Amino acid sequence: MYRYIVRRLLWACVLFIAVTMFTYVIFFVIPADPAVLAAGRSARPADVERARIYLGLNHSVPYQYGLFLKRLVVDQSLGRSFVNRRDVDSMISEAAPVTASLVFGGAILWMLLAVPIGVLSALRPRSLLDRSAMVFVLIGISLPVVWIGLVLQFLFGFKWGILPNAGYCNVFNPPTGATCGGPVDWFTHLILPWTTFAILFTAIYVRMVRSNTMDTLGEDYVRTARAKGAPPNQVLRKHVLRNAMLPVVTMLGMDIGIALGGAIFTEYIFGLPGLGRLAVQSVQNFDLPTIMGVVVFSTLCIIVFNLIVDVLYAFIDPRIRLE
Amino acid sequence: MTTAEPLLDVRDLRTAFLTDDGIVGAVDGVSFSLDAGRTLGIVGESGCGKSVTNLTIMGLNPKTARVSGQALLRGEDLLQAAPRRLREIRGNEIAMIFQDPMTSLNPVHRIGDQLVEAVLLHNDISHAEAKARALESLEEVGIPQAARRIDDYPHQFSGGMRQRVMIAMALINDPDVLIADEPTTALDVTTQAQIISLIAQLQKEHGTAVIIITHDLGVVAEIADEIVVMYAARVVERGPVDELFERPSHPYTWGLLGSLPRLEADVERLAQIPGQPPSLLAPPRGCRFNPRCPYAFQRCHDEDPTLIKVSGTDDHVQACFLDEGTKAREAAKTLSAAAA
Amino acid sequence: MNDEILVVDNVKKHFPVTQGIVLKKQVGAVKAVDGVSFAVRRGETLGVVGESGCGKSTMARCIMRLLDPTDGRIVFDGRDISRLSRAQMRPIRRDMMMIFQDPYASLNPRKRVGFIVGEALEVHKMGTEAEVKRRVQELLEVVGLNPEHYNRFPHEFSGGQRQRIGIARALAVNPKLIVCDEPVSALDVSVQAQILNLLKDLQSDFGLTYIFIAHDLNVVRYISDRVMVMYLGKMAEFADSKELYASPKHPYTGALLSAVPIPNPKLGRARHQIVLEGDVPNPINPPSGCVFHPRCPRFKEGVCDVDDPPAFSFGGSHQAKCYYPLERWPMTVEEIERRPAERLEQAVAALPH
Repeated sequence: MYRYIVRRLLWACVLFIAVTMFTYVIFFVIPADPAVLAAGRSARPADVERARIYLGLNHSVPYQYGLFLKRLVVDQSLGRSFVNRRDVDSMISEAAPVTASLVFGGAILWMLLAVPIGVLSALRPRSLLDRSAMVFVLIGISLPVVWIGLVLQFLFGFKWGILPNAGYCNVFNPPTGATCGGPVDWFTHLILPWTTFAILFTAIYVRMVRSNTMDTLGEDYVRTARAKGAPPNQVLRKHVLRNAMLPVVTMLGMDIGIALGGAIFTEYIFGLPGLGRLAVQSVQNFDLPTIMGVVVFSTLCIIVFNLIVDVLYAFIDPRIRLE
Repeated sequence: MTTAEPLLDVRDLRTAFLTDDGIVGAVDGVSFSLDAGRTLGIVGESGCGKSVTNLTIMGLNPKTARVSGQALLRGEDLLQAAPRRLREIRGNEIAMIFQDPMTSLNPVHRIGDQLVEAVLLHNDISHAEAKARALESLEEVGIPQAARRIDDYPHQFSGGMRQRVMIAMALINDPDVLIADEPTTALDVTTQAQIISLIAQLQKEHGTAVIIITHDLGVVAEIADEIVVMYAARVVERGPVDELFERPSHPYTWGLLGSLPRLEADVERLAQIPGQPPSLLAPPRGCRFNPRCPYAFQRCHDEDPTLIKVSGTDDHVQACFLDEGTKAREAAKTLSAAAA
Repeated sequence: MNDEILVVDNVKKHFPVTQGIVLKKQVGAVKAVDGVSFAVRRGETLGVVGESGCGKSTMARCIMRLLDPTDGRIVFDGRDISRLSRAQMRPIRRDMMMIFQDPYASLNPRKRVGFIVGEALEVHKMGTEAEVKRRVQELLEVVGLNPEHYNRFPHEFSGGQRQRIGIARALAVNPKLIVCDEPVSALDVSVQAQILNLLKDLQSDFGLTYIFIAHDLNVVRYISDRVMVMYLGKMAEFADSKELYASPKHPYTGALLSAVPIPNPKLGRARHQIVLEGDVPNPINPPSGCVFHPRCPRFKEGVCDVDDPPAFSFGGSHQAKCYYPLERWPMTVEEIERRPAERLEQAVAALPH
């Protein structure tokens, strides 16, 4: 087990370097000059040159990259934004909880919906429930997230006024000048974003849970359990669910890991100041340090969650030995 | 010949499945009986209905199955029993083991837990007591270092060991009937010998009646007291083991015996049964073996043969219209070819 | 020797077992085949029997160069093929073909039967499209299928018919040697008889040589001229078919023979069975000396667990690697377990020449 984790961590470092280096290269390949943007509209060439030096853009690309790594490892800092000279660290630490609220809440919602529907559909194939579930799946996968978000926003937020339209409220310590705060506000402001974010995943997971459950129901050991005289819900609980959910757990970990990098569409529509919005803004502004900050954070999330999922899998399934 | 009631009495069992292509009659009028402590062997090739027959008795068919007939366990019709009653019986009065020991045990639960589950489903005792019983049963089936291995997972056992675990799990509640569905087919020859002798030994010790389902005539010759030969969802011959092997009385049985390569004799050429078993969606009219039978005549196409007694016996029946003389001749030919 | 189409000389196939975080080093090996030597005569059928883990399938794949042997030589038709490159092997592959066990898995379900049977002909450029098609239809007929089913898919055929397709595929390029890896194990008894008879007929019609691998001793007896018994990667015994079954020398062969259920209740009851203890051990850690010694009823300490026995000869083709071979057959269980006082080679050496 330990050997496995060490090996994975070593690979994670390699992956990390590859991703960040790749991002750096792409950034500098794009024909646009961040120094121009930073210098402002009415900048003269001398001002642009000064901006360039100030931002450290006068060095070669490999040098800048090396500097970035050094700063990251030694100072544990992600540098300063080109745009507003704020610490990228603090920008990320403000945006991350927002995305985390959205993603984890959404994940709980989609699992609470997908697992029962998927299992029930598998137990009663071709019934009315099953057929409706499959229609829902088709719709859920086909509808664009943006469209769903806008429609929900329009109906519930604007037309009927039941739920807040947009915006994010901190659970603890709302900043001064904030219009809302506290758990209730936090919750109500996230209902529509959670629903929007979760619909696509619910659809995908219903299908996955259903097909895994159907496969497991046909397995020989389920027949053995019935032959022992086990009642149906014991068979389901002890023998079917645990085996059927194994692949779902893997997928869940990976999906959460990826989504933590920024559920861009949902955050944008509902004005949530999360990592997704930060990512979009920083790319539009050619704000390299912030871009790198988001990339680093997302990569870390994906690596960590993949590792968690793999280790978890080994705990749940005794056949997997991580050597 | 016993005049006592048989332990398990199956009468005119029929099981049909509704499929997209039509109705498949997987079992079509099967009858046999099993006395306490005896072994019944059901032989036939794939698709003949031998497994479905026993799954029907246990009530383990999918919901699309349509069942008729009777399966009387000590007079109680299992086919009419309430689901709760059936669950009481399964694993307790009738137990079943299956062919593939690799997949028949739940891979994520320890085998000790799976054995304990079997005990606790039918006995109101403590977990500790159940585990003690589980340990005993593992030792009884010859698992070495049982106390340590009881906490292992199925994948840590070999195929033969897993089959022993399955047998332990089936016999742990001391059932009256053990149904073994192809228990040795997936195992090596030497392991197969171990398992067969284990089943025979445990049967003697516990007095369990055994139904063994297999395609291997050698296995039933070793272990069975009575044999039922099935073809295309029907019984074509039934009788005591010695009698059946000495006087096989159905062309299919001759074909089966003749097509076996022998260990103890030189066979010049294997007798082969041409063609293959019929589809049960649209089986042939009359005797279902008639398309492949070298002796078929008009009556075989028109009428369904019923099981009639072989002359001079009480308990040997067969379903064929051929006259006794021809049968005796052909049977002798098959046997002499095998004994050459 | 011209008479021998295949000579296998001390072939080994070890699969490495590695450990390590970044740099993997080999800590052991699965000794799937561990020094097997035998020869196959032109036109005969050599049966290879053994249980799971004995290495028979691995050895078959080494012979076919589907796997590369770790050590040893394979001489096919006078030519050493053990270390030939892929390109060099290509023309030789026309002469050795294989038939597989699972008729459901060994045919590509997305390809039509005509393509499956004719593919090798096209690969080796043996004819125009029309000629290939004609040949394929010929082959379908030879194996007992309807040539008009040329355009059907595998799932439209039964198990036995699919196996016939596999045989037709193997015959297409007129090979000299066909390795049959458990070709009838997955078939029903009545279909098995059809396929075995077909294989026999084809052998005499086309002058084929077979290596027939199976775990079913009855089947091997019926179809083989000579038989090799394998255990845990090594040869245990080698003999003419009739002789192996009439007077086996190796205790493992004896155990195998006595374990086979006989479809004759009276004979079965009269028979003494040698029931072996335990399971086949792990090929990663084979026992020292004779690999069979932990389960052998004739085991003698100090002899059987020290050195791997050489292949003692018992006349003709008959060889067995055992220091205390069976004295006669059938033996009673008591006789089997009684160990002779002297090692065989000493006893043989003591005989007057």
